[in-house]
Amino acid sequence: MTATLGHSSILMAFALALVGIASPLIAARFEPERFRAVARYSIFGQFTLVTVAAAALIYGLVATDFSIKYVAFNTTRATPIYYRVTGLWGALEGSLLLWEWILIIFAGIVAWVYRERHHELMPWVVMIFSIVSAFFLGVIGFLSNPFETISPIPLDGRGLNPLLEDANMMTHPPLLYTGFVGLTVPFAFAMAALIVGKIDEAWITTTRRWTITAWFFLTAGNLVGAWWSYHVLGWGGYWAWDPVENAAFMPWLPATAFLHSVQVQERRRMLKVWNLSLIIVAFSLTIFGTFLTRSGIISSIHAFSSGPVGAFFLGFLAFILLGSFGLLAYRADLLKEQPELDSMISRESAFLLNNIVLVSALFTIFLGTIFPLISEAVAGVQVSVGAPYFNSVTVPLFLCLVFLMAVGPMIAWRRASWDNLKRNFLWPASAALLFGFGLFLWKVRDFLPLLGFTLLAFVVCTMTYDTALALRARKRIAGEGILRGLITLSRRNQRRYGGFIVHLGVVLIIMGIAGSMTYSKEKEATLAVKQDLTVGNYRIQFEGLKGAQQPTHFRVEGAFRVFHNGNDEGVINPALKFFPSQQSPIGRAVHQSSLSEDIYLILSGFSEVERNQATLKVLVRPLVIWMWIGGFVIVFGTLICIWPMPKAEQQEQS
Amino acid sequence: MSKSRRFLIGGVIILGALAYMIYGGMQEALVYFKMPSELRAEEKSLQGKFVRMGGMVVKGSLEKDLQNLIYRFEITDGSTKFPVYFKGVPPDLFVEGKGAVVEGRVGGDGVFQATMIMAKHAEDYSPHADGKTPTNSFIPAKEATAK
Repeated sequence: MTATLGHSSILMAFALALVGIASPLIAARFEPERFRAVARYSIFGQFTLVTVAAAALIYGLVATDFSIKYVAFNTTRATPIYYRVTGLWGALEGSLLLWEWILIIFAGIVAWVYRERHHELMPWVVMIFSIVSAFFLGVIGFLSNPFETISPIPLDGRGLNPLLEDANMMTHPPLLYTGFVGLTVPFAFAMAALIVGKIDEAWITTTRRWTITAWFFLTAGNLVGAWWSYHVLGWGGYWAWDPVENAAFMPWLPATAFLHSVQVQERRRMLKVWNLSLIIVAFSLTIFGTFLTRSGIISSIHAFSSGPVGAFFLGFLAFILLGSFGLLAYRADLLKEQPELDSMISRESAFLLNNIVLVSALFTIFLGTIFPLISEAVAGVQVSVGAPYFNSVTVPLFLCLVFLMAVGPMIAWRRASWDNLKRNFLWPASAALLFGFGLFLWKVRDFLPLLGFTLLAFVVCTMTYDTALALRARKRIAGEGILRGLITLSRRNQRRYGGFIVHLGVVLIIMGIAGSMTYSKEKEATLAVKQDLTVGNYRIQFEGLKGAQQPTHFRVEGAFRVFHNGNDEGVINPALKFFPSQQSPIGRAVHQSSLSEDIYLILSGFSEVERNQATLKVLVRPLVIWMWIGGFVIVFGTLICIWPMPKAEQQEQS
Repeated sequence: MSKSRRFLIGGVIILGALAYMIYGGMQEALVYFKMPSELRAEEKSLQGKFVRMGGMVVKGSLEKDLQNLIYRFEITDGSTKFPVYFKGVPPDLFVEGKGAVVEGRVGGDGVFQATMIMAKHAEDYSPHADGKTPTNSFIPAKEATAK
């Protein structure tokens, strides 16, 4: 019953999506007025039907309706209710439905918000949404049906992969999907602008908040993924350059580039083609990522099921790329613009360089990800590209980005005079150099970390200096104190100061990455009770093992007392969990964080003969916690950027 | 110098730097996958390079020193037996007579110095598979390979 309801809703929504695609075409040819609304109503119809389908699947999961195959494979009677709900994105079929659901929610909001505006663009925007929606609905309805039934009905389900039973897994996929889907909004408006032939800045200003929001969810999704990897996978790292991680990260790069380069177009009407291309690439990469992870062509730790779905994503990807770049070529005459770059030392060129660096990073990561495929197809040689490739290629690029992050927001538009440079950068640069020198005297002697931390300090100094000058002006004009002045400034110029805060968050994240990449220590040993292991300033003493039966698994836990510089910091308990459905145990690493470093304990094994022997791996990873703090700073900054303000309060961007 | 020429030169420099970085990075990080007999044949040219070798763990060849976490064993593809030395904790599925992939270098003594062992899963194994298989209690020495 539930299954029939869900599946028929999907099929009806698919039919409506086809109507949504056809109606703007008919309207353009015959009767504009009557058909204009049809496209919009088809979106609202799809929204309702997909919501019914999603609700049906969630109901099936919660009520453990094992007649639905998807439910039987992803829940058990013992599964707690919240993990039953998150089972919606526990496997391929459900996560495609979640994707489609988020997509159609976005489409519905867009269609509703702009129902009285953009009369020319909207039917086409809605059509683009309907095309994407029709593709997903087609895949869900005909290829990878989450409502497939199973007979005979099993007594109990197989359950979620135990690794997914974690709070972060409840948020990571929806965040990431929201980020991916969010990119459809600027993409749809860009395509609509191309179709209509009105290639001014309207599509950019309209979608500005949407793009920032999508970027925010992409960032958050990737960070939560990294946190999950660090927290749950228990290998002591947060990023392995695995193909699936790359697939989630790659759209972030052109999206970030886009956020910066559109400012150049808004301000100087340059880079029109470039911006259109960036958004096409960013959107295509979200589809490419799904193709990569679902086709099984690249093996990954994220063991997804593979099937015919991958081929369809590849076809759709080809369709999008051909269609959108075809449109771009078709409108090429309209895009011949444009003011030229006045000087290499200007904000335009800083943003342009930022874009070049981001796109280079994208290209290198893309190449590294698909290189095993190319190699096997072309030369028949089996290779794998290890993390060292990605690290050695991206580190210099990201250092360039950090430098540009210091320069870009402060340097003058068009042509920066010597005075302008001196005014904005003399003091911050001196302070940063002094900081770097201090680090060198203290103990940072390696070139790359020294350069990295100095550049990070440079970013912070330029922003602080600029804000301090603005605050001094507020004090002079309005007699406002620091706090009051900060509030006024960020209200008057949300994007600038919100952007500063986001940059600060990025600085903190890069600081965490740099610290943990360069100054980690690790050691592994087999310990008997009362034996200890020393890593850096830590001494870890083994106190014993204990085992306990948990509702879903058997847990073996080691007790390790941690001494930091001789001080007793208490006992921490890394564990191994034995699930009946899994062949091998799942580690539960434990870490103790401080602002300066994490101590991370992994129980890698224990002797079954002598129960009082344990193999322990200890990692000391400096500054990791700043990555997560940086994430929260980004949330705050983004909120400042997009918070709706009454029109009167806003002023022209500086 | 005209503006377009300056842009051209800038573009060439950037592309050149990028190509150099990619080439250098690949040299460092490209890991070939070899069978024991292939590896034995190309031992000279591959010496000191990071490779992966896959095959069966020879029955009766495994010697463990649990106190120091040292494992010695042989891997075979049916024709050649290749001795392997490993220090660390192998994955649970690593047993004699089953498949395994080792990553590391061939030493001057003809022994494969493994820094990572990946056990072969019955159903979802593939030679490219990353060692970070989460269903194992084994955690690969990522940091060691990164240096």
